[in-house]
Formats: sequence, C-alpha cells, structure tokens
Amino acid sequence: MKLYEFEGHKILAKAGIASPFFVTCANSEEVKEAKKRLKFPIVAKVQVLSGKRGKGGGVKIFKSEKKLVEFCNEMLGNDFEDEKVIYINLAQWVRIEEEYYASITYDTCSKQPFLLFSKKGGIDIEEVEKKDPEELIKYEINPLEGLKERNLKKIIGKDETLVDFLMRLWDAFWRYDCRLVEVNPIAKVQSGYVAIDAKVILDGNGLVRQKSLDVIPKGAAGAIPTKREIDARKIDEEDYRGSAGSTFIEFDGSPRGEAGDIAILASGGGASLMIMDSVVAAGGRCANYTEYSGNPPREKVEKLTKITLDKKGLNGCLVAGAVANFTDIFETLSGFVEGLKQVRPKPNYPIVIRRGGPRQKEAYKMLTKFAKKEGFDIHLFGPETPISVACKKMVELSDGYKNMRSHI
Amino acid sequence: MSILVNKETRILIQGITGRSGVPVTSELLDYGVKVVSGVTPGKGGQEVDTVPVFNSVREAIEEVGPIDVSMVYVPPLMARDAAMEAIEALAASRGSASGQAEVPLVHIFVEKVPVFDVAQILARAKEKNVQVLGPASVGAISPGEGKIGSIGGANPDKVFSKGPVGVISKSGGMCSELAMLITESGFGQSTVVGIGGDLLVGITFGDLLKEFESDTSTKAVVAFGEVGGSAEVEVAKLIREGEFTKPFIIYLAGKFAEKLPKDTSLGHAGAIVGLEATMEEKTKILKDSGAIVAKHFEDIPRLIKQKI
Repeated sequence: MKLYEFEGHKILAKAGIASPFFVTCANSEEVKEAKKRLKFPIVAKVQVLSGKRGKGGGVKIFKSEKKLVEFCNEMLGNDFEDEKVIYINLAQWVRIEEEYYASITYDTCSKQPFLLFSKKGGIDIEEVEKKDPEELIKYEINPLEGLKERNLKKIIGKDETLVDFLMRLWDAFWRYDCRLVEVNPIAKVQSGYVAIDAKVILDGNGLVRQKSLDVIPKGAAGAIPTKREIDARKIDEEDYRGSAGSTFIEFDGSPRGEAGDIAILASGGGASLMIMDSVVAAGGRCANYTEYSGNPPREKVEKLTKITLDKKGLNGCLVAGAVANFTDIFETLSGFVEGLKQVRPKPNYPIVIRRGGPRQKEAYKMLTKFAKKEGFDIHLFGPETPISVACKKMVELSDGYKNMRSHI
Repeated sequence: MSILVNKETRILIQGITGRSGVPVTSELLDYGVKVVSGVTPGKGGQEVDTVPVFNSVREAIEEVGPIDVSMVYVPPLMARDAAMEAIEALAASRGSASGQAEVPLVHIFVEKVPVFDVAQILARAKEKNVQVLGPASVGAISPGEGKIGSIGGANPDKVFSKGPVGVISKSGGMCSELAMLITESGFGQSTVVGIGGDLLVGITFGDLLKEFESDTSTKAVVAFGEVGGSAEVEVAKLIREGEFTKPFIIYLAGKFAEKLPKDTSLGHAGAIVGLEATMEEKTKILKDSGAIVAKHFEDIPRLIKQKI
C-alpha cells in the first residue's frame, strides 16, 4: 500500500526522523488556519501517489499569501497527473546545505533488504544511476542482524548524525512492515538532517499487525478507492482464512481503466490474470478485477459477490478459475449463490461459471437446480472447457444480452 | 527420477491439527506419502489420521525419526516462528534422513506472511543450507511417486499423470490447469511445482530449471509466467548461458494490467505492475534467449509435441 507523503512522514517520525514542520490541508479553510502556524516562505506540495510531483508543477515555494491561496484553491479537488488532489501539505521552507538520497527496499533476487544511498540527492535517482553510477552505494542488509552502525560508518563515513538518520530509516522500515522507505532529499540543515520528502509503501501482508498506523484506505490501482474497493478489502481484514477481495480494482472510466460491464469473480492469483487477458482478447470489457483463493469460507465469497454485483449497468458475470487443488468448489459457489440471491434488482444478465476441483460436480448440480428454481441465466463449464473458451462465451452471451435489451 | 519429492520422502506437518492441516494429512497418506509426524504446540500426544502429534519439531524427530520435509500449515503471523523452528531442527538432524534430501526442505503453504518475516526465514535457511519452497506455495508433485503440500488435493490422479514434462508456476491453480492440459494431450509430468506468488520466495524458477536440467526423466519444461518480478528474466539468463538446455515453453499472463498505474498490486503479492520488467520486455528477453513463448494457453500441447 502506497502512502501519501504526509503519511510517510508520520511513520518516519515514529522512528525519530524529523521533517520540516508541516500542516496537511484538505480545504481552503484549513489553508487559512495553517498559514497562522507557518512563516513565509512556505512550500506547498500536492499529495498524490504518483511520483514526479516537482516536475509536474505540484511543488511550489510561496513568499506571499495571495499566490499560495490561489495555488491551493486551484489544486484542491482537481486532477493532478490523473489523480484527484484531496490534500496539500504546507511545509516550512528550510535552508538546505546539502542534499542526499536514501532508500530501503527488497531485492527480489538476493531476497534481502538493501540500503541505497547517494550524496547526489534531490534529483531523480534513476538519473544518478545512469549518469553517476559510482555515486550510488548499494548495501545489502541481513534481516536477521539488521543494519549495523559500524558497517554503515565504513560505507558512508564517520558523520554520526547521518549514520543515526539511516539507522532510524532502517528502524522505520522493518518495525512498521514497509516494502519501501525512500527519502529524497535528505537535507542537511543547521540542526542536522531532515526528511524533505517521504515515500513509503507498506507491505499488505503486514497491515494486520500494524493497525496502530491508522493510514487512509487506498485503492489497489489509485489513491482514492471506490466504495466497492474499500468494502471488498474489509472482507479479508475480518477473517484471515483464504482470501477474497483483498485486491479489487474497479474499472469505472477513471484513469485506472475504461469502464466495463462484465463483472469478474476470478479465482487464484495466476488464473485471474489469464481470465482478464482472455476477456479483453475476446473483445469484452471488465467491470472490475478481483479474485478469491486459498479456500475461503463461503461467507467471504458471499460478501465479495454482493459487492461485485451491486453495480448498475452490468451485462454479464463471469465466475472463473483454474482447476482448484484444495479450494472447496461447492462451498465457494454456495457463497456465490448466497450473495447472488441478495443482489437487487435481481440480475437477469448471463452468468458464466468455469471451475474445476474438489466437489465441483456437486456444486454444478446445486447450481443447475438453483438456476432453474430461481430463474437465473447460468451457463456452467467444467474443467474440460478451456478458460479462454469460457471467457469468449461470456463475451458472446453478454453481447447477445445487450442486443436483446436494445430491441425492447 | 523426479525433483524435490519421491517415494522415500519423509514428511512432518506443522499445524497438523488445524483447518488445513487435517485434510492435507489424509490426502498425503492416501497418495502413499510417508507422513511420519505432526506438530501442534500443546497438542502433543494426539493423533491425526494415525499420524502422531508432538509439541515441537525436535521432539518429533527424536521420537519417530528424521524427516526430509517439514510443511508449514499455521496461521500467517505464526509462520515465521514455525519455519525457523523447522530450519533449526532440520539442520541439526542433517544427513540422518532416509530419503534423497541432501538439502532438507521447508515447505511454507501459508499465504499472507509479512515480507519481513519471509526475508528472515530465507536468510536463516541460507545460513543453515536448508531449502524453502514458498511461502504461499501449493506444493510439489511427482506423479506416481509422491507429493508435498496440497497440490492436487484429494484427487491428484484426475489431473496429474506421470511423464516427461516438468511444470512450474507461481500459482497453485495454474499448476493443476497446466497439468490437466498436458495430461489430456497425452503427455505426463515429471514434477509439478508451485513456487508461490509472493514478493520474496525461496525456491525460484531458476533453481528448479537447474534441477530439471539434471533430471533424466524431464524432457521439457512448461511454465506459467506473470506480470511483475524477475523470475522470467532469471530463466532467460540460464537458457542464454547454457545452464538449461532442454525445451522451455512459457505462457505469460497479465497483459491487461499493463495499462494500470505503476506499482498496482494484483492477486499475487509479487504481481506488481512495472516491477522490474514490463511484459513486453519479458517476452522479448525470453524469445531472444531461445525460450518458446506461447501466444495462447491452449497452444502449449502442440508446442510440446513439436519439441519432444
């Protein structure tokens, strides 16, 4: 989970890393109040999750009130790099003597965290990598021992305050289950070192033991989650057995993707990718991406079904997955049925189901009976039908349904 | 022959009395696997489907003998301690196991293990020269020989059959899906391995390819690749450098996600848009190395036929 800069600063502050004094504002009233606590010059920074805020004009220094207020009013509530600006940070400008760069993240090849440090901070680190690779220091950290002060001194020199800063950065990284902490620039100021910026990505699997961090819910693909995305994520927070809805991406015409009309309830991290690709290849448009897997109890699938199908304008629903190893197909599809029954208005669009695995035949018997009795248009495909064929069928049926409706 | 697991493999299950531990125990026993002991702290003295339960891994090894593999079936936040315990105990009893395992194995089935815990587990395992499969790994099966984990569930013979094709995937579901496709087209599998889709995993595609290279029963390897991560790039390097010389066929999934913002995470924690290499880059690197990239999933049997 990627955090806003001001949330990142809060986490770094817990580890004792200071930043210039700032106030986060969500509207012009708050901007007015914030000014009273700051002295000009003030640095205004839009809070969005995409990088490149500086280059795009999202970070500006103001010496007077009028321009500052204008800037805030112009930014708040509008889009910046395809993302709606909800917060602006107003920070005290500080005199910077030198700018450094530091980040800690995981190397997926060596399977360890590593510290990346450079005395060339304040600019894009990719640029440094290209132009001055010798200015970049990469140091792998044994996660059992942690970062060691004496080793740090060997690589960055004897600047005690800087060593202390980096030790605290490591502390923030592991203590709060971060996938990335990045400070660019670390600024040398009169009083020592401060974090001018803070980029933090939290490990989704660690959130359950970091409840005290109190971060603002985010969407899987964007900063501002839709209600469905928030509701779907809650399913797993309440119950660790299996997973359902942890990753829910709604395609609603916003920058995250073209609006779609086929609801997707996929199973499995791998199969879900293939299913999305297959629907797109067949000319369909997905209303969402989500998946459940790891044999979740039926209640979790029921909740996810309700959330996914509680959307206007759907022209089809695809429930698909690979041949399951240990996910009980009868249990999970029973959850689907329970959820489906609660959707209003009652869906009359085609529903395509393609599954295989434990108790699949039993599940299909139950579904056939259910569809007949309750009047649902359900099309069942077993493991003998390739996933891509079922996806294609979904798109055809959905197109047929749309045609029929346009003739009424 | 096969890799990772065979008829002699002796297995212990941590969390054997739990919601997933109980069913996997009987599934393995039904398949003829030697599940020799189980562990649930505080439940020592009980039995799960004839398998004796102990309070610790060390105690289990002392009482019923050495093991080659420990399977971790505990809740996510307990996985670190369980895996650490297994690594220590396996390292301490090294060489005494009956099976093939010169390098003993910890299989972590559990999903949603925090990445820092995973990094710590993998670091300790490296120190002690113990292999780790997972986390979030469905397991491995050598059809007709044996299996580790929940792969194939209660009816592995429905999908898996003995033959010359090695199969690797992050995803458990796609292991079965690929095996079924291969079985239906008249081929079988030597060993099928699900490595798990997390950001950090123990055994990688590359590690498995090295094993498949020296495994005489494997004539070709089929893989399911995904958006995000460096697994496919690692594979291409092995092929290019001549460390893997058998036919390698791969299908890549997640093209739809390329339009999503960078850093978007999908179903697998390691499937992150823009992480390390784009799909296009991956396809190119693989093709350039001599790997066969299947455009459609259903093309895979035909591609196998052309090669073996």
